[in-house]
Amino acid sequence: MIKVSNLSKQYVGRTAVNNISFEVDPGEIVGFLGPNGAGKTTTIRMLTGYIPPTSGTVSIGGHDVFSESIKARQKIGYMPENVPLYDDMRVREYLRFRAELKGLRGQEARQGVNEVIDLCDLKQIRRQMISSLSKGYRQRVGLADALVNNPELLILDEPTNGLDPNQIRRFRELIKQLGIRHTILISTHILSEVEMTCNRVIILNEGKIIANGEPNDLSRELRSASTISIELKTSEEKVKDLIAAIAGIKKVSKEHQSGEWGYFTIRTETSNDVRESIVNLANAQEWPLREIRTQHATLEDAFVEITQANTSDS
Amino acid sequence: MNTATVIITIILFVIIIISMQKFLSGGTGIVILKKELKSIFYSPIAWIVMALVMLLNGFSFIAALEILRKADVDETLIGYTFSSTSFWLTYFFIFPVITMRLFSEEKKLGTIETLLTAPVQTIHLLLAKYLAALIFYFIIWLPSAVNFFLFRISSVDNSNAIGSFLGAYAIILLVGIFNISIGCLASSLTKNQLVAAMACFTFCMLHFLVGFILQDLPVPESWQGSLFYFSTVKHVQIFISGLIDSRQFIYYLSFTILILSFTYNVLEHRKWKT
Repeated sequence: MIKVSNLSKQYVGRTAVNNISFEVDPGEIVGFLGPNGAGKTTTIRMLTGYIPPTSGTVSIGGHDVFSESIKARQKIGYMPENVPLYDDMRVREYLRFRAELKGLRGQEARQGVNEVIDLCDLKQIRRQMISSLSKGYRQRVGLADALVNNPELLILDEPTNGLDPNQIRRFRELIKQLGIRHTILISTHILSEVEMTCNRVIILNEGKIIANGEPNDLSRELRSASTISIELKTSEEKVKDLIAAIAGIKKVSKEHQSGEWGYFTIRTETSNDVRESIVNLANAQEWPLREIRTQHATLEDAFVEITQANTSDS
Repeated sequence: MNTATVIITIILFVIIIISMQKFLSGGTGIVILKKELKSIFYSPIAWIVMALVMLLNGFSFIAALEILRKADVDETLIGYTFSSTSFWLTYFFIFPVITMRLFSEEKKLGTIETLLTAPVQTIHLLLAKYLAALIFYFIIWLPSAVNFFLFRISSVDNSNAIGSFLGAYAIILLVGIFNISIGCLASSLTKNQLVAAMACFTFCMLHFLVGFILQDLPVPESWQGSLFYFSTVKHVQIFISGLIDSRQFIYYLSFTILILSFTYNVLEHRKWKT
């Protein structure tokens, strides 16, 4: 559906996107992830043909975004960041305008508008002025606009930006539902969103793709270096060194001491389970052990790990 | 009026008609045009401007009638109406007000992004917005024509009027066609409506004053003469005397095409490779 090859964008004195290539197959829901300023919006604008790349090509459904611009744009439903809308129009009127702009006429346009009004749950506000809408409704009107001509590809730039948790949850449900019929590319910096909705994640940092895979794979890769937290009833200084001496442990750090209880975080190097060795050590030293828990790496850890490692390199 | 200028005028009209025809068959152009007209007439500004222009026209019309009643003069009613202060006042504020929001508002709201990523050709977008402003401009001037029709019914002697009537409205149309393209360009350059309005106003003002400016300055006489050829005041004077001069048609229409092509390139410039 999307084919990006060697895409770069240079602004004066700054490279926003640096030679990225990826593909999105029909039916996929792909999360486009990265910290602020990573080049997500720039990439998306190049995908939609709004700005040209410095080098490289983008094709949408087999049509080059620049040489066959109109054909490519017909396949895309795009919702830009912050959802720009005309404040002086009513919701239904706006959607009707957008439907006609995208080539639907008469009965077709009316039907398209009615469908997206139902789908995005806009029925009760369809006659309201857009200027009077709340952020959540604006977002849904933006989505309805993107969907109105039933495009094969949906590109949503930070769709949940500024929504409250309930609205985010509903939005997520909607995306999942839409994923059945559309190919979706969502850009976001909210990880839980990607983890719950996407089949695939592309992580972008400083204009480069630094990870591309299933959310579970990405976190599994990190799971080899998981974290164990323990609570021990001791205040001895040598505890850290004794634990660190166990094979397979990378780093031990003391979080804090609360009364007699000390809280430690242990990072393990391999996927070997070292919990048994820790319990044995605690028994041998006669330190009462109140809690031992493995923290599985989440996508969030993966994200932080990957993006920070890369940033410090450069 | 010689054959060459007539031919060039006809060619310019053919170019315009062909481009309009292409635009009309495109479909999306009409959709944007409809939306633009709606948003013009749904906003109070349109009605305030129309009321103000009607008021000013009324003033200049009555003042012109007064002049004709008092003295035996050889100018026509139209001639006096369209050389009054009120007329030029209208001329100065009308173009910035009509055109300032065309593109700058889209830029400010960010809707230019949704507009240009929809399957719409930039040329359709430009022509739709331009035409919407032009239609609004015509509608603003329409009531003033009624004044003259009503006067004809009860008039005794204005044999000269039909020529200067057609001339006056032809030059109003021509000046509108040209200055609205200037407004389009100004609006496409900035996201600030005030900047767009000021730029348009400044240009209209200079265009009006060119020829006058140099009168008091120590410059060769021949310069003054040739610069006066560009002055709107001069053109209006020629047309309201009943002389419909094809040179002015060529001047305004060709510059309009040039300015609109600049505007097109401003809208497209983000696509130029860095």
